[in-house]
Amino acid sequence: MFEQLKNLAGREYYLISSLLLFMVFFIIVSIYLIKLSKKHISNMSELPLKD
Amino acid sequence: MQLEKFTYDNKIVRNFGIATIVWGVIGMTVGLLIAMQLFKPGMNMGSQYTTFGRIRPLHTNAVIFAFVGNAIFMGVYYSLQRLLKARMFSNALSAIHFWGWQLIILSAVITLPLGFTTSHEYAELEWPIDIAITLIWVVFGINMFGTIFKRRERHLYVAIWFYIATFVTIAVLHIVNSFELPVSFMKSYYWYAGVQDALVQWWYGHNAVAFFLTTPYLGMMYYFLPKMANRPVYSYKLSILHFWSLIFIYIWAGPHHLLYSSLPGWAQSLGIVFSIMLIAPSWGGMINGLLTLRGAWDKVREDVTLKFMVVALTCYGMATFEGPLLSIKQINGVAHFTDWIVAHVHVGALGWNGFLTFGVLYWLIPRIYKTELYSKKLAGFHFWIGTLGILFYAVPMYWAGFTQGLMWKEFTAEGLLKYPNFLAVTLQIIPMHVFRAVGGGFYLLGAIVMTFNLAKTMLKGSLQANEAAEAMPLAPVMTETNPMDQKWHRVLERKPMKFMVFSLIIILIGGMVEMMPTFTIQSNVPTISSVKPYTALELQGRDLYIREGCVNCHSQMVRPFRSETERYGEYSKAGEFVYDHPFLWGSKRTGPDLHREGGKYSHAWHFNHLLDPTSMSPGSIMPPYPWLIDQKLDISTTPAKIRAMQTLGVPYPEGFDKTANDELKKQAEEIIADLKQNNIKVKSDREIVAIIAYLQRLGTDIKANKETIPSNQ
Repeated sequence: MFEQLKNLAGREYYLISSLLLFMVFFIIVSIYLIKLSKKHISNMSELPLKD
Repeated sequence: MQLEKFTYDNKIVRNFGIATIVWGVIGMTVGLLIAMQLFKPGMNMGSQYTTFGRIRPLHTNAVIFAFVGNAIFMGVYYSLQRLLKARMFSNALSAIHFWGWQLIILSAVITLPLGFTTSHEYAELEWPIDIAITLIWVVFGINMFGTIFKRRERHLYVAIWFYIATFVTIAVLHIVNSFELPVSFMKSYYWYAGVQDALVQWWYGHNAVAFFLTTPYLGMMYYFLPKMANRPVYSYKLSILHFWSLIFIYIWAGPHHLLYSSLPGWAQSLGIVFSIMLIAPSWGGMINGLLTLRGAWDKVREDVTLKFMVVALTCYGMATFEGPLLSIKQINGVAHFTDWIVAHVHVGALGWNGFLTFGVLYWLIPRIYKTELYSKKLAGFHFWIGTLGILFYAVPMYWAGFTQGLMWKEFTAEGLLKYPNFLAVTLQIIPMHVFRAVGGGFYLLGAIVMTFNLAKTMLKGSLQANEAAEAMPLAPVMTETNPMDQKWHRVLERKPMKFMVFSLIIILIGGMVEMMPTFTIQSNVPTISSVKPYTALELQGRDLYIREGCVNCHSQMVRPFRSETERYGEYSKAGEFVYDHPFLWGSKRTGPDLHREGGKYSHAWHFNHLLDPTSMSPGSIMPPYPWLIDQKLDISTTPAKIRAMQTLGVPYPEGFDKTANDELKKQAEEIIADLKQNNIKVKSDREIVAIIAYLQRLGTDIKANKETIPSNQ
């Protein structure tokens, strides 16, 4: 299955830089989520039930 | 501070709701008609305005932009007001948005059967309608952001992020995929050609699924499911991760529609990787939805709206598991161009979009009419007949898809194609197509029962057009106790414009990495010296091929498989399509691939085949095209078309626009002379002559000089 990803004709940098971009973005969002206050999360999730 | 009194606009929600129901029934009825055409060609009704090629886009446009589109606006206008504790920004903009959108749909209903089409799948509407769509979309955006600005709830709930991402991404997709050069009123040529046009179209096509059929529905799911179950979403943190990952990854996955095509290999690989990654956020969303019902599954037994939501989420999970699976080359090689894709799409469309819409309608209509649903029994019947409909639709289509994929590729022990006649495969799957139509009929019946049930509900109650509400106004300064509350995301949640710009950047990254190399690096599209522009007659024929929607059933992309090169001829090269504005690779093979059709049969064969396909291919399900013989080819457009092609970079000699029609007539006379030898009498100024010229040209350029042709890599 991974054979199909090797056929990049010297253009590996597109794939590697794209994956790196996503990794960095994903890590930033994850760090933010871990640090988020529980009170805020609870308030936000209750919003649809308050109207 | 005092509580402020205001009202919610329910009338606009009701209007979009009615439009959803009406267009839904119409779109599904057209769907049933085209499904029947695929096993009973007589259902084409002998009219050019009702043939499959012209009304298949009518079905897709009606269910996507009319049924789902109106449902999105219904859901957004209902939930946005309540989540922001504010009435819609402007009643006038709401009305312009509603009527403008209906007029756009009406224009599609008129123009598509008339044959006005760009041929880009799910973007068939011609340039004046494209401009109208842009304007109405901007009206929707102003109305949405105006409401966000005057809100009484400081933080934007996750559903609203999905709505914002939908707005901004659809705007970008629509504009980029509508770069067309108008030739006349209702006729244009795409700015891009061949491989580049294909990449843009499937970047659009895939993300139209993502940002029209998915993100707004996820927004609706995050609002309506907690309301229906009366409990908050399972994990709000997961919804944040779901949102950012989904919009980041989705935009990269478009090239999985072009695997084994002439698209550069690295772009295909990029599409595969991101498609497989997409399963994570998609399933994150599905699991978040289903787990919202934890401890409330007893309600699912009682409440029909929740039943619809559970099936919708399950179908979403199935379709988003299958999507990445189909992006793997080995599976794609068998599944692409077959009914498997139709099954996959309809699990998403009927299950996810349809059932979620039905659930929301059953929940919302009684509420804004301050009454109870007219009949819970009928709603229950709708649920079961709809579910059966999905099964009867999907299972035969999967079966048909596997059958096609395997039969097309089967070789005998001697190394010859076991089914060299394409028609043998088509005839094999006819019973499956009959079952599919039965499934579609069940589903449509359910929708009609719902229409009756909801109409009775509306008659029983009375619309509360302006629903009274009250809320505290926003305090001018926020006081935060937690330092993290000042961080970027909390700021983004409070600053909708910054949020929109940030979302825009996220979705632009993927598109740019994929497209810029393809557009800027010349070597990505190898040129072939023997490939020449179409003659004037062939160009006119190509436009007729587009008008009749031939691309809906015939691909023009021979993939580099032995099973395809044996059946069709040399595999397609990127350099062969450099003058194709637009590309016509297609996405489905109801009939055989036509890229190497040129010179395969005589002019007389094509004439007879177009007049009555069964005369040349007994049992064929292709509709006849007798009007091509009756109708005169409009050559008054030739000079404008040549000039437009020159503007797009097609190297016609200078002044060719003035002499093009002379050459066109000369080539037509040659074809007529050939037909005459076969005892076929037809005037040289008829449309059929142009379409024969085009079909005979297809794929012939590289036959002349095979060894100088670069491969796709």
